[in-house]
Amino acid sequence: MGKLLLTRLASLVPLLFLVAVFVFFLITLMPVDPVRQIAGEGASPEQLEALRTELGYDRALPVQLLSWLGNAVQGDLGTSLFTQRGVVESVLERLPVTAQLVGGAMLIALLIGLPAGVYSALRAGSLADRAMTALASLGLAMPGFWLALLLVLMFAVWLGWFPVIGYTPFGDDPVQWARGLVLPCLALGVSSAAVIARQTRSAMRDVLQSNYVQALRATGTPRRRIVYGYALRNAMVPVLTVIGWELTVLLAVSFVIERVFGIAGTGTLLIDAVVRNDIPMVQGGVVLIACIVVVINLSVDVGYGLLNPKVRPQ
Amino acid sequence: MTDPVAVAPGGAPAAAADRAGSRQWRMVLGRLARQPVTLCCLLYLAVVGLAAVAPGWLAPHDPWEVDLPNRLAGPGGEHWLGTDELGRDQFSRLVFGAQVAIRASFQSVTLALLVGIPVGLFIGYLGGWWDRVTMRLIDIVAAIPTLLFAFAIIALLGRGLTNAMLAISMVFAINFARITRGGVLVEREQPYVDAGRVLGLSRRRMMFGQILPNVAAPLVVQASIFLGIALLFEAMLSFLGLGVQTGQVSWGQMLDDARVFSAEQPLLPVFPGVAITLTVLMFNLLGDGLRDALGRQGSAGPPWGRDGRGSRTRWWRRGAGRSGEPAGPSEPDDDGDQAGRAQAEPADQRVGAWTTGGVRSLLEVRDLRVAFPAGSQGLMTVVDGVSFDIGDGEIFGLVGESGCGKTQTSLAIAGLVPVPGQISGGTVRLAGRELTGLSDREMETVRGPDVGMIFQDPLAALSPVHPVRRQLTEPLRRHLGLSRAAAADRAAELLDLVGVPDARRRLDDYPFQFSGGMAQRVVIATALACEPKLLIADEPTTALDVTIQSQVLDVLLDLRDRFEMSIMMITHDLGVVADVCDRVAVMYAGQIVETAPVEQLFTTPRHPYTADLLRATPHPDQPGDRLPSIPGTVPSPDSWPAGCRFQPRCSYAVEACGEQAVPLVDGIRCLRHQDVADMLSAGVYR
Repeated sequence: MGKLLLTRLASLVPLLFLVAVFVFFLITLMPVDPVRQIAGEGASPEQLEALRTELGYDRALPVQLLSWLGNAVQGDLGTSLFTQRGVVESVLERLPVTAQLVGGAMLIALLIGLPAGVYSALRAGSLADRAMTALASLGLAMPGFWLALLLVLMFAVWLGWFPVIGYTPFGDDPVQWARGLVLPCLALGVSSAAVIARQTRSAMRDVLQSNYVQALRATGTPRRRIVYGYALRNAMVPVLTVIGWELTVLLAVSFVIERVFGIAGTGTLLIDAVVRNDIPMVQGGVVLIACIVVVINLSVDVGYGLLNPKVRPQ
Repeated sequence: MTDPVAVAPGGAPAAAADRAGSRQWRMVLGRLARQPVTLCCLLYLAVVGLAAVAPGWLAPHDPWEVDLPNRLAGPGGEHWLGTDELGRDQFSRLVFGAQVAIRASFQSVTLALLVGIPVGLFIGYLGGWWDRVTMRLIDIVAAIPTLLFAFAIIALLGRGLTNAMLAISMVFAINFARITRGGVLVEREQPYVDAGRVLGLSRRRMMFGQILPNVAAPLVVQASIFLGIALLFEAMLSFLGLGVQTGQVSWGQMLDDARVFSAEQPLLPVFPGVAITLTVLMFNLLGDGLRDALGRQGSAGPPWGRDGRGSRTRWWRRGAGRSGEPAGPSEPDDDGDQAGRAQAEPADQRVGAWTTGGVRSLLEVRDLRVAFPAGSQGLMTVVDGVSFDIGDGEIFGLVGESGCGKTQTSLAIAGLVPVPGQISGGTVRLAGRELTGLSDREMETVRGPDVGMIFQDPLAALSPVHPVRRQLTEPLRRHLGLSRAAAADRAAELLDLVGVPDARRRLDDYPFQFSGGMAQRVVIATALACEPKLLIADEPTTALDVTIQSQVLDVLLDLRDRFEMSIMMITHDLGVVADVCDRVAVMYAGQIVETAPVEQLFTTPRHPYTADLLRATPHPDQPGDRLPSIPGTVPSPDSWPAGCRFQPRCSYAVEACGEQAVPLVDGIRCLRHQDVADMLSAGVYR
């Protein structure tokens, strides 16, 4: 297992390096002058030049690239033009809130998706199965931020069960913290629940048709034992891949959900940066989030190795 | 869809491919037209499309017309869906929003197709350096969430829908390129590609004219789904204020406005959300419909309609019908067009035909019938009145070509006929106990302690993600109540017994670490764990190579002596029968056509089918001769001929053979068996 982790970790380095290079060229090779974007419409040519020198965009491209990469290696992905704080520092500060949203949403998605998928597979063709499939299609099509609006209206504005907006740190008030996270996580998690339910259902159906299920039945193993002792773990192998993708999707969609609930997470930080043309912030933020995605993928690979002995290095 | 195009001298394979292609697409359209859900989607999308093309026609009001006295009105009256915070007509805004949404989706997906497909074709067809570099680039972009990528592009190019959708389009293009490349890598190996090269078609014609139509199916499905995703992104970005700017209406932007005023007018956020959800849903359902219609053999797997059909079909009653004979045209799972004729025949009257001759019978099968539902027209019988006995310690062979009902017979004995199939008649008695009426739960106490089974593909019979210990100790713990440690000890003994070296250590290995022969020993050990009285071995050596086959057979023979069990050996390999069986039944088209002790069957076959099977078996005495084969194929259960079922393929058949069903008399189901025997003994083969 350690070997798998090490080889996977080693393969991350070149990928992350290439991501940093890619983002650099994405910014510099666009047919737009980043300095003009930053300065805004009204800037005079002198102001532009001054800003260009200040931000280092007047240097030769290879120099810019080397300096960007050199700083990146040391954990410096630039400085926000507005707050004058380091990008890494700013993002890391907001990340715990985002992580709680994503984690909570995934928890909800798993708690709904896995049992629904298994149940549906065991009763293929039944009314419950059809209803689950229809609900899953609906869950996939429904934008999370719309669901969020409806949930707020229903459970926060009318019923008053949950706060309408805001995030309370756990340290301040654990109860308030939990209440504040319920609706955002639910709104975020529903579409992932639909994806996971669909995937679980189809994986489980495939597995239940497999020869080893018949072989187990031929030794008199009861159904429940076959389903929960054998089939489920086999079915989890493809589901895990989907869970990995969904974590990435949740990370991105949480940026939008934050907006509905007025939670100041990574998304708010980045959207503000986009609105203000804070290009260094966006640039650094993209690389940092890409790092997180890559780490998520790595964890999924490791989990894959735990589930499926075939991919473990011998 | 991969029909290799025959290269006629001077002919144009491209033209032939085009014709085949258009026929293919017509067929797909026909299938789509028979999907009511897809038709509904298309109807809905047509309406939304109309709104997108000519919103002015559908909208009763100017979407920007401010009417402050009527602000935040509810649905009804002049404003069908009410008004927003400035009194603007919601319905008209929805219609104009459709224009933005549909345009954004189609533009981004079209651009992505235009970029992604050529790139995918190019790197897939040329491969090499281009392929590696592009795939690396694709990996990089895949690490950046799409929304974030859009953020970066918007930060650079400025806010606005076009810029936002450009970013989405790039991500889609990468996905299309990946899908196309995957398809091309498969198609590149197809003969028609070589044929085109030989004919000197230009690279461009090869890629776009020949390969592209063959890889188009998944692209069409994905395009439909991406249309929905693009729409979601448009709504999301406009909701964040990064998409449409003032002067345009977007559903996402309407939701952003509604967010502020929903406390005053709770219906405000409902309609734009419904519009988004419904449209995305329709694109997704259209994608599902296209996938079904483009599927190469209808819908793969056990689809809804077929085994579900609204009933509460539970998987355990379905079982796995695939482990037995390789799927052929006569596989009972294939739903035939015609109804099966459950030919009613009198049960064979004469007991002498199937008894074990002096030995006490362990298993008594009488007039066993297995049937599958066949459309609206009732049942299709696949096992048709089979009767035989297996004596204590006897090895009984059941032989016949694929699709003649051998596996279904064995599954019926173990109570494992796959749903929707069922035992439609007859009895199965094991050591005096009737098994056919038992519930699945009761059968769970029979399978394991009384009946064990081994299968054709040993590696598939073991759960791939568990160490073999788990499956091996399962029956020991369940039926014998052994503790974990005791079960492990016993499992190691069993593995040792069946000849797995280093048994104790191998318990913790996974199935993929075993060779086929070793895996079959593990499966045998599992089946023998509770020392069953009867072992059903369904083609236990077919998937193994020849040297391993005899080792596995030796193991079985040895175990039979050790455990004093009976073995029912299902095979199409007469060599195996000759090696191990005591007595044999030959099956053809759901019936037993001959039973005999093994020596008698090999020396004096009585049924023409048996004789043909024997002649079609390689014989060491006559090397070099061309092996004769039996002309024709086993008829499928929905087209069993009247009278003797072998008669259409039989070289001895006379008119009487086709007139009425032939009974099994003294272990032979043939009207002319006397004449046949005379001719065969005189060395006359027809």
